[in-house]
Amino acid sequence: MVRDGDYVAIFNSVHRVMEAERLLKEKRLEVRLIPAPRALAADCGLAIRYSESARSEVEGTLAQAGLMPRVLYRKNGDDFQKIEGEL
Amino acid sequence: MNSLDVRGLSCPAPVVSVKRALEAGTGELRVLLDDGAPRENVRRFAEGRGYSVQEEAVAGGFALTLTGAGTEAGTPALSVQQPASSRGAVMLIGSDRLGDGPEDLGRLLMRNFIITLLDLNELPDRMLFLNTGVLLTSEGSEVLEALEALGNRGVEVLSCGVCLDYFKKKELLAAGAVTNMFTIAESMLQARSVVRL
Repeated sequence: MVRDGDYVAIFNSVHRVMEAERLLKEKRLEVRLIPAPRALAADCGLAIRYSESARSEVEGTLAQAGLMPRVLYRKNGDDFQKIEGEL
Repeated sequence: MNSLDVRGLSCPAPVVSVKRALEAGTGELRVLLDDGAPRENVRRFAEGRGYSVQEEAVAGGFALTLTGAGTEAGTPALSVQQPASSRGAVMLIGSDRLGDGPEDLGRLLMRNFIITLLDLNELPDRMLFLNTGVLLTSEGSEVLEALEALGNRGVEVLSCGVCLDYFKKKELLAAGAVTNMFTIAESMLQARSVVRL
């Protein structure tokens, strides 16, 4: 479900991730709510996936709404590279 | 040796046809198919079930010869070669929501569940979608990509025709095939186990 080069934004609450999805879908952005990849072992278990082409608009929308993800990864080959966030 | 021609069929139909032919007990199977996704998906599916695969370029596509592990070519003994655990489970999805509770949470959980199946080694043989479950297999669903990937791993995705009709989605089926109550009832009664969601 996550292709090479995709971004995976993990949120720290189910309410936040659902709100983020609603907002992004409203703007007709190409995003998908997915279970967080097992390798990333997030507590909440949900993530929003998007591609490079949608990145700036997705992240801009989330920042404006105060719905920044807890941590952001990018899929590189078989690995996930952390782009932003705690831990 | 039996042969099967799935050229011109789009995914996941080639995998589903091959799966049926193998389960019908064909000893060794030669499959004619298109290059690209059908060739890759059938190869991956057959190897995942323990078959050895030989490829050969032929006019208009490829020919794959599938031979069961440990069997001599042509020996019709494949029914014991297949991993029993991956056969015979039917999943009945009678709603687009998982569990009782808030609708949006239920929908999210169902999507989550279906996408998570992709991470598992043991998959159901068939997934039967009924009632609002058919909203998951028709256009606009968030799990079409996951259902296509499941189809390519040999899971038959079947939706109730009456239900599609009721929701006016008959022309909008976007994953798997349409089925009727006869097949649904028969699949459930013949299944080794039925998982009802």
